Amino acid sequence: MFDFLDKLKTTPEFDQALDISPYARMMGFRLRRKDGALTTVMKYHGDLIGSPFPPSLHGGTVASLLEMTALMQLIWDTKIRHIPRTIDITIDYLRRGMPEDSFARAHVFRQGRRFATLHAEAWQSNPEKPVATAMVHFQLVD
Amino acid sequence: MIRDPGDIELNKLVLMIPHARRMGFRFLEKTGDSLVIEMPYNPELEVLPRSGLMANGAITTLLDTALGAAVYDQFDAYRRIVTLDLRVDFFEKPRPFSSVTVKTRCLKVTEQIVYVQGDAFCSDDSSAIAHGVAVFSYADMEEG
Repeated sequence: MFDFLDKLKTTPEFDQALDISPYARMMGFRLRRKDGALTTVMKYHGDLIGSPFPPSLHGGTVASLLEMTALMQLIWDTKIRHIPRTIDITIDYLRRGMPEDSFARAHVFRQGRRFATLHAEAWQSNPEKPVATAMVHFQLVD
Repeated sequence: MIRDPGDIELNKLVLMIPHARRMGFRFLEKTGDSLVIEMPYNPELEVLPRSGLMANGAITTLLDTALGAAVYDQFDAYRRIVTLDLRVDFFEKPRPFSSVTVKTRCLKVTEQIVYVQGDAFCSDDSSAIAHGVAVFSYADMEEG
């Protein structure tokens, strides 16, 4: 996984499926880098639907996208060589997730020696209208 | 263990949710207003191949589904249910190659809001691997 990310770090622009993880592959997660910013994408497919009428994304899929985004950003920004442990995640749902591609970005609010706090935001067609936001705490050392 | 028509409804509810079906979630039982919903071990849900560890995202999704079902179960008529927020505490890694079950508890129903929580367990273990707490709003189907 770290070899995978190391290789990407030397590439200024990419759009790469997160195929290294079976779960990420099932979810349709991709990692994109453009203009220096890292974005995680959840490609829409019918298996992501949580409520058929009207068709809406399952809340769990959006939560999962936000956690994955925070994790990727943390590994990207630091020299960590192991997967940090997620302590907790708090998700605020702001809008219905439409049956379309979703995008998310995260930033590191605080990083100490032992813990990191990240904020992540997900949107769909309009970046001005977030679908959900999350605060995530990670434990950096066992 | 499906014992009464209400339980059959809950099983159908889980199967009606495309993502829950894809994840293989199964309604197991209902005691009082507490539901038990299971996510069988599935290699497709592993965070890394052959690790046996199902992803946190899968556990969060199981909690969200179970808590939503617990809210649905509070009402006789069909209501439109919306998650306002969800908080998940990850206590420890799931046991490799183990199924995960969530047991819910409804904390409070007000005129507009339902507060619920749930614990996630691996197989028959007695200590929870994760805990979720959520707030849902609800409305009649006609209301906006």
